[in-house]
Amino acid sequence: MKTTAKHQSLGSAGRGITYLILTLWSLMVLFPVWTMVINSFKKRLDIYKDPFGLPSIWSFDSYLAVLKGHQFGRYFFNSILITVLSLALILLLGSLASYAIARWNSKLSRWLYAFMIAGMMIPIRIGSIPLLRMINEMGLMNSLFSLLPIYVAMGIPVAVLVLTQFIRDIPIEMTEAALIDGAKPRQIYYKIVLKLIQPAMASVAIYNLVPIWNDLWFPLIFINKESQKTVILGVTTLFGQYQTDWSRILAVLTLASLPILLLYLAMSRQFVEGLTAGAVKG
Amino acid sequence: MKKGFLSLWILLVMITIGTFFSCSKENDEAAAEKKNEVEKVALRMGSWRMDDVAQMEAVLAEFTKTHPGIEILFQPTNPPDYNATLRLQLESGTGPDIMYARSYATGIQLFEDGYLSDLSSLSGLDTTYSEGNQAPWMTKDGKNFAIPFTAVSHGVFYNKDIFKELGLSIPESWSDFLSVCKTIKAAGYIPVANSLGDEWDINEVVFMNLAPNFIGGREGRLAYDEGKTPFNDKKVVALFQAMASLAPYLPEGFEALTYNDSNALFATGQAAMYFDGSWTLGTFSDVDFDWGVFAPPAPDGQKVHYICFHPDAGMAINSSTKYPEEAKIFLEWLGSPEGAQVLAENLPMGMFPMSNIAVEIEDPHAKEFLSLNDGRQLDVRWAWPELLGGDPSGYNLMMEGSIGVITGRITPKQAADNLQEGLAKWYPPAQKW
Amino acid sequence: MQRYIEGRSQPFSWFLYILPALLVYLIFLAYPLFSSMLTSFMTGNHAQIQTFVGFDNYVRLFTEEELSTRYFSAFRNTVVFFAIHMLVQNVLGMLFANFLQNKHLKGRKFYQTIIFIPATLAIIVTGYLWKLILNPQWGAFNLILKALGSEHANFPWLGTPGVSLVVISLVSSWQWVGIPTMFFISALGNIPDELYEAAAISGASPWQVFTNIKLPLILPTVGVVSTLTFVNNFNAFDVVFAMENVNGAPDYSTDILGTFFYRTGIAGQHPIGIPDRGMGAAVATVTFVVLIIGVALIRRITVKRDEV
Repeated sequence: MKTTAKHQSLGSAGRGITYLILTLWSLMVLFPVWTMVINSFKKRLDIYKDPFGLPSIWSFDSYLAVLKGHQFGRYFFNSILITVLSLALILLLGSLASYAIARWNSKLSRWLYAFMIAGMMIPIRIGSIPLLRMINEMGLMNSLFSLLPIYVAMGIPVAVLVLTQFIRDIPIEMTEAALIDGAKPRQIYYKIVLKLIQPAMASVAIYNLVPIWNDLWFPLIFINKESQKTVILGVTTLFGQYQTDWSRILAVLTLASLPILLLYLAMSRQFVEGLTAGAVKG
Repeated sequence: MKKGFLSLWILLVMITIGTFFSCSKENDEAAAEKKNEVEKVALRMGSWRMDDVAQMEAVLAEFTKTHPGIEILFQPTNPPDYNATLRLQLESGTGPDIMYARSYATGIQLFEDGYLSDLSSLSGLDTTYSEGNQAPWMTKDGKNFAIPFTAVSHGVFYNKDIFKELGLSIPESWSDFLSVCKTIKAAGYIPVANSLGDEWDINEVVFMNLAPNFIGGREGRLAYDEGKTPFNDKKVVALFQAMASLAPYLPEGFEALTYNDSNALFATGQAAMYFDGSWTLGTFSDVDFDWGVFAPPAPDGQKVHYICFHPDAGMAINSSTKYPEEAKIFLEWLGSPEGAQVLAENLPMGMFPMSNIAVEIEDPHAKEFLSLNDGRQLDVRWAWPELLGGDPSGYNLMMEGSIGVITGRITPKQAADNLQEGLAKWYPPAQKW
Repeated sequence: MQRYIEGRSQPFSWFLYILPALLVYLIFLAYPLFSSMLTSFMTGNHAQIQTFVGFDNYVRLFTEEELSTRYFSAFRNTVVFFAIHMLVQNVLGMLFANFLQNKHLKGRKFYQTIIFIPATLAIIVTGYLWKLILNPQWGAFNLILKALGSEHANFPWLGTPGVSLVVISLVSSWQWVGIPTMFFISALGNIPDELYEAAAISGASPWQVFTNIKLPLILPTVGVVSTLTFVNNFNAFDVVFAMENVNGAPDYSTDILGTFFYRTGIAGQHPIGIPDRGMGAAVATVTFVVLIIGVALIRRITVKRDEV
């Protein structure tokens, strides 16, 4: 369990430096975010005249323009749809596989486990060229759903890693009782295992949520139809080279960041647990 | 357990089917509609003009008014990504039905790979468009792969108020131009707003803007392109030298400023001059000073002056479109008097129509830009007709040369030599030297 | 015993549980990797890769003038990119973890939350933000420098070869600092109290505590963090795309393996834009081999002998 580290030997100077560094860093983090948000409320040319101050006139023009035109509602919907679907499938497939691996003691299952978690170290982008061909042949080119199998494949190694360990830790007694009552493995899975591994499922979901939502690469190479783009890809669509409206871009950036940022601020503990899942063996 | 499994597989199958449905929904809908009374089809138009969405949608809406069964959706892509993106789409069969076509090699390549329809037999082609205008979108053996759509011009935007304040007049020769820059800089303004952050800017809009004046326009260019002169002769060196001499007059930190920053510097009155193309005319419509455009200066003592008037976009049809007839109707409409009028009224400012039909240009600045053509000869951007392909492409060599001499990393002579040596690696006329 | 407790031994049924995940994993992760290697031995036009050319693509990649110059330059840049991440991102992460581990630190939760924020944003977002901040004319950073009277006030950070790569690496490190921080907090938290007490008794300084107790015990985590950094950096693309362009401007100085791969195999070189898929696959395969070697090396250094 967590320890209490006593560093009284630091002294006040040491503590002072600690606070100084942490505060400086916090400024370094908050400042760009601040710049992004306040400038999204300025008129286009005002930003050039005064990039840091609060807007003299709070203009919602950019937000209105973004939300009305350019199909941004569509981009958001697409991102949410694909993220939720991907996470659902990752958790479903991952937990089923983990349950089997955890409970099925054999050389084959151990081998499959090692095989599937090896993928953690493999960046899926490396296979982009064959993936392009495959997605094309499956008729999914330019479709939002081209991303689905990719994200699921991406998420399975960690899901299997984390969930298997977690399921292994479920005391035998809990399932034993059910078995004695004549339950089949499938029922055990639904009624007991799924409930017990919820914290781990949350970790896996969060671990995959951020890279899926923020992914640029695959939408960039698969999708060009406006109606199928995700939010992050939509952001680059606005980076048109000629005549870019800074205020509008920043409104877009702010809107694109808001979902995950808000989610994070609301659930920061789970986020941290989720993102370090599977890395440090407790 | 088998049942749990079954539901899982059913779920997966459903998702897969759902996928296919969502992909082909558009076509099914269109096909279903076709069976009804009013044939309503929706075509997609690809383009790199992200900024023209409003204008193009107006044009396309006018078209649909007179052709109620055909709707065209304008779906542009980011300019630097357009070529690569278009290719990916065409290869995977998901390309747009109609698309903007880049002139010369880029477009020819697409046609030769079979992605564009042959438009040589489009009705009214030869009467609507002059041969010179058709040329950028024709293959070597005379097939049209796109119809001319818009051309752009290049010049130097200038802040009339600053010029008046400093008592300056429009420079005609290059040394006049440099002394104007000096005066402006001494007065505390930025002489030239251009920057290197978006590399294509210095290449397409400064180097190739000045090139016709320095290399002798069309004839001069042909001499190089056909191998009659090497690419590193003294005229080219002089051109790179001219580029290098701009360096002290660019904004502070120009190496990292972007195209938009340069626009903003001019638009906020901090910079007095700005090399750019006619497509930017619209950006400056709401600035608070008086401005105009002048033609790029020529080497001292040169009698004939040139303007870089460049055929920018053609309109092509996807060879595997499901609506070839409708697409053809649209293209023919573009060349008709009604279409030309709609274009003249709605085309973004600074994009000039290329049909023979005389139309009245309303905007005074656009008129001014076009009037620069009077008394001057025209030519296209140097790299476009012959030097785009190949590795290293003439485009990249010119770009790297421009950036290199402005930042002082290489001398103008070295830049010219690099151009010649690089082209000689693959371009037969250059290999003669 | 479990096998007999939970139903009869039905390996086939268990296998069916694993099958869907296995299939997706095989088809979309494992197979493309393998297929990429196969494609690297071919060449051909556009979408149809047909002609077998053996190791020709690799030979060209390493020896043909245009290609190899670009490739090795991209490789070198990626190594620099990685080095800066190790030195900045991971060292800072370690530092912050040490600070935040102290339960008596005021505002501990607050700092922890803040440190992690950039990692939740898309790199496109942060890359573009920093581009604005570093703008020589209007950027915050340069305005602050001007206020301080520095002569570098209008310096083009992203327009100077050499400097731009460092800047981009720093921005990327800034982005991801939260991740090693969290990993190390977790790892440090697992060190038993008694060790600290023993150190306090023997009068060890904080630095000695760090080098003799913390570092050795969290070495495996250092390995994991290094591996993740390594793998991510060698595939990085987004940050250069956001802050410069796919060519790695200025002058290819920010061209890293990710952008090189994109230009070669996916999008092709501007302006014509015709990719060479076989060559792209070769680049991907070489990267994969480099990754394997790198990860193996890191494991060698950081995993305790008895834990292998």
